[in-house]
Amino acid sequence: MASSDSVAGAMPPGDGSVPPGKSMTVGQTIIDSTAHIVQSLNPIKNMKKHVCTFAIYSHDMRRQIQVHHYASRLSQDFLQCTVYDSDESDARLIGVEYIISQRVFDTLQPEEQKLWHSHGYEVTRGLWVNPGVPEMIQKPELKNIAQTYGKFWCTWQVDRGDQLPMGAPALMVSPQGVNQGMVKEDMIRARDEKYKISCEELAKSREGIVVPETTNPFSDYWMTTQKGFAVDVLPTEMKTTTALP
Amino acid sequence: MAQHGGGEEIPPGKPMSAKEHIIEKGASMMQSLKPIEQMNQHVCTFAIYSHDMTRQIETHHYVSRINEDVLQCAVYDSDESNARLIGVEYIVSDKLFETLPLEEQKLWHSHAYEIKSGLWVNPRVPEMILTPELKSLSKTYGKFWCTWQTDRGDKLPMGPPSLMVSPQGVNMGMVKPELILNRDHKYNISSEALKTSRVELPEPEWLNPQADYWKQHGKGFAVDIAPAEMKKITAFP
Repeated sequence: MASSDSVAGAMPPGDGSVPPGKSMTVGQTIIDSTAHIVQSLNPIKNMKKHVCTFAIYSHDMRRQIQVHHYASRLSQDFLQCTVYDSDESDARLIGVEYIISQRVFDTLQPEEQKLWHSHGYEVTRGLWVNPGVPEMIQKPELKNIAQTYGKFWCTWQVDRGDQLPMGAPALMVSPQGVNQGMVKEDMIRARDEKYKISCEELAKSREGIVVPETTNPFSDYWMTTQKGFAVDVLPTEMKTTTALP
Repeated sequence: MAQHGGGEEIPPGKPMSAKEHIIEKGASMMQSLKPIEQMNQHVCTFAIYSHDMTRQIETHHYVSRINEDVLQCAVYDSDESNARLIGVEYIVSDKLFETLPLEEQKLWHSHAYEIKSGLWVNPRVPEMILTPELKSLSKTYGKFWCTWQTDRGDKLPMGPPSLMVSPQGVNMGMVKPELILNRDHKYNISSEALKTSRVELPEPEWLNPQADYWKQHGKGFAVDIAPAEMKKITAFP
């Protein structure tokens, strides 16, 4: 079942809630709270940043989504993000994005670089925002992000109505200033209204931010080749260990 | 920035400076992080690569329960603050699993074995509190995409995601004893003892034969990426 299937298989029946399922019982809430108190949850505590931006399906660039990244910085050159479809407590976990610096990106083989996208455009155009954080405080981080590359796998295609995660992961690409990379106006407006911000004003205030000088021929692969990437999952012969007695 | 085997940094990069830490901390205090706050359970268990079942890994799931029938987990390769985010797992009740199309069910795995055998643990949470949760989890199915293969030394996430499967009681589904011992030692627990205490946990009456596809069919799943003609919108003026 390919990520690029236009419609997932038959949907589970139910009351239409996404995902389907009853709300939690009191008992379950107690368990969750107890675990929360006695466990350390270190990796989660390291997710300190909320970013709201937009992403586009690589195999079908008509499909654009608003995304919420919760980012954890592991080094000066690397961030890892859990990606959600909203910033609410009932948000669905829709994927993972990794973000690396130019320096590290340059060490990758071309075949790998093709799976990554640049961030310069979405930062300088005010699409990438950290809700709640004043621009001035964000600036150093924005300057850093503008020079990075991301790799984003979407594992739950909520935007097409999937009630549960279906099929293979989809490769996502970033907004760009041309053709199908342009984010739809109404999407930007809706997001701006929610956070009481203005993408245009942010773009103005970010005019000084530098993006990578040379365009890497392999990142944002669709821009030079007009080809996206479709992901499929296929049965394969398994590697077997030495024969069991 | 921790070193991992051979002195290589995974991922590469200098550690953050003190100033960077302060700025980050300041900014984080201004934001609400509601989805993250829902991840309030840590589970340590094991998973196996579907396309190469000789490769087994210890995993750390940070679990968020969406409703009675669905959970979503961010999966890491350790429980440290510098743990690498290696994938995502979704967990659904048997009731919901039965509603999935057959082709989809093949990508999922059952949990009964790994829970009953004491492989699946919630470190530091008393077993007694867990029992109701374990009862319901033992009837669930999971779908786990691994997006960063740190076990084979990848310094960065490379290539397409891998489909993972769960430990099972047969053949290549059996977790290597040294992996279990290592994990048990770290948390000062005994999977064997947990297995005994979980003897009373009811077995699911029926496991859907589409799940754990490798058991019946001897085939794993490999993820393939291929360039594709993009769908186009109507021509620009």
